[in-house]
Amino acid sequence: MNEFPVQPSPLLRAEGLTKTYPDGEVQALRGVSLDVERNEAVAIMGPSGCGKSTLLNLLGGLDRPTEGEIYFRGTPLSQIDRDQYRAREVGFVFQSFYVLSTLSAVENVQVPMFETTLDRRQRVERAEALIEQVGLAHRRNHRPMQLSVGERQRVAIARALANEPSLLLADEPTGNLDSRSQNEVLQLLNDLHQRQGLTLIIITHSPEVAAAVQRVIRMRDGRVLEH
Amino acid sequence: MRFITLILRNLLRRRTRTVLTASGLAVAIASVLDLVGIASNFERSFLTIFVGKGIDLLVVRAGISNQLSSNLDQKLGDKLRGTEGVAQVAATLIDTVGFEGAGIASALINGWESGSPLFKGLRILEGRAFEPNEKNVAMLGRVLALNLGKKVGDKLDVAGEPFRVIGIYEGESLFDSGALVVPLATLQQMMGRESQVTGFVIQARSPDPVAIADLRKRIEAEFPGVAATPARDYVQRDVQIRLSRVMAWATTALALLLGSVGMLNTMIMAVFERTQEIGVLRALGWRRSRVLRLILGESVCLGLFGAALGMVLAVVGLRALLLAPTARGFIDPNLPPAVLFLGLILGLLLSILGGVYPAVRASLLDPSEALRHE
Ligand SMILES: Nc1ncnc2c1ncn2[C@@H]1O[C@H](COP(=O)(O)OP(=O)(O)OP(=O)(O)O)[C@@H](O)[C@H]1O
Ligand SMILES: [Mg+2]
Repeated sequence: MNEFPVQPSPLLRAEGLTKTYPDGEVQALRGVSLDVERNEAVAIMGPSGCGKSTLLNLLGGLDRPTEGEIYFRGTPLSQIDRDQYRAREVGFVFQSFYVLSTLSAVENVQVPMFETTLDRRQRVERAEALIEQVGLAHRRNHRPMQLSVGERQRVAIARALANEPSLLLADEPTGNLDSRSQNEVLQLLNDLHQRQGLTLIIITHSPEVAAAVQRVIRMRDGRVLEH
Repeated sequence: MRFITLILRNLLRRRTRTVLTASGLAVAIASVLDLVGIASNFERSFLTIFVGKGIDLLVVRAGISNQLSSNLDQKLGDKLRGTEGVAQVAATLIDTVGFEGAGIASALINGWESGSPLFKGLRILEGRAFEPNEKNVAMLGRVLALNLGKKVGDKLDVAGEPFRVIGIYEGESLFDSGALVVPLATLQQMMGRESQVTGFVIQARSPDPVAIADLRKRIEAEFPGVAATPARDYVQRDVQIRLSRVMAWATTALALLLGSVGMLNTMIMAVFERTQEIGVLRALGWRRSRVLRLILGESVCLGLFGAALGMVLAVVGLRALLLAPTARGFIDPNLPPAVLFLGLILGLLLSILGGVYPAVRASLLDPSEALRHE
């Protein structure tokens, strides 16, 4: 490991986050603080509208908090290039997959790589490896319409891993899946977490998913519930 | 996968809309190319009227914009001939006549002296040129003869005067082939313009532009009220040439405007429909600039596709126009490469004009809002 003393800061730290959406003055977050350590797998649970997606978008650098600050490896997100942060450090997975319908599985995986210095051959090689890793080598050239929903979500996960992020943020990744596909996706996420040390933050309503992670953060009305 | 692949896939996804938009652009671009092409060929053939006959200067009344309205004394010709540096002088009277029976509203009629150097520019296909003192004989340009259905030996009524067709010629330019040539004296008499001419054409002793410029100054100093214009300037100053140019450019501007509005519409729609997808791309780490390049790339590809289609349409359209006998000889079927290149520039310009706003809007979308868009 590292010969220097280990940095005390967690991978991700949120301090006093609030978020007020401009239209209608909705206060989606009312002071959220939390730490997520390296290699942790965390689930966020809570009723609809309590601010889970809002929090995840802030943590992923997709939006800015109204108040508060997020630190990635000790550095405030407000001081770094968020595009670069998302491209290099974060992988997003969504409930509705959002894979591009005009592209094949292996092409979808290459989409985030346009923001890197990889050349075309390297992009293809890397995408092929990732598609294989999610168990879809035999379907690499299929379009999303030809894939089952579980397979589509696996393509989306491979795509989230395209630029070797340290953090995978998933917003109800199994919300649109049948129970068999849910198990497959869960298995895959577990694998990534345990074998590759990926840090996972998963929003979920599913007890099975919650049971598979180390820690559950519960939210209500824009706040994290303390135990 | 290349970035361009992504762009093309997006265009293919909206196949019908892509084809419709490109066709709209193509029609706009094709009409511009044909008009600009015709205007530039028109100008070029106007120029060959003079160049083909070794004409260096045109002498007409000063201060007129249209040669037809010029009016000079025929005797001026002898004085010009005596001017230093002048090799040859030819008088010409030009007017227009109509042949209503054949549906020709207006054809140029030229009055030349027999043996005039102007005949050098004509190639006689049938019959002969006229002799000195011959009256009421006409030589017809190939296209005019075709449209009138006249052969050598036929009788022809010109503005109420009986003529006999003695020759058919091919001109070096479109104008000559649609015109007729009659003896100068006959035309002067017919038009009531005895001893008057429209102007003179002069061949200088030296083709050197400096010598021609000198000759021009000398003539204008010696004969007040007379303008001597180098053939090239004359063509460019001609009111009809200018008109055809203005029309071509006005059409271009209009096509550019309509084309970019069409492009704008298509691309705004594309961006609106794909708001969520743009949010996803931003979530995957795409910068604003890459989103901008994607959307602008789509409109540029669409514009180039329209331009390519437009060039084909322009060439085919011009050929189709030539199926009409009146157009034959008047319209050159070949578009100069520079004009075709203009199509490419137009396509690019259109797509940038119409694509920038949607692309900028797409790039400025707030990613988390875009993701929530249904
Ligand atoms: N861009 C936005 N503009 C305005 N209001 C928003 C926006 N995004 C979220 N909201 C509002 O903020 C609140 C929290 O929304 P959020 O999407 O974070 O909830 P959630 O916990 O993810 O709910 P769900 O489980 O239904 O996904 C809701 O009241 C929502 O309507
Ligand atoms: Mg949500």
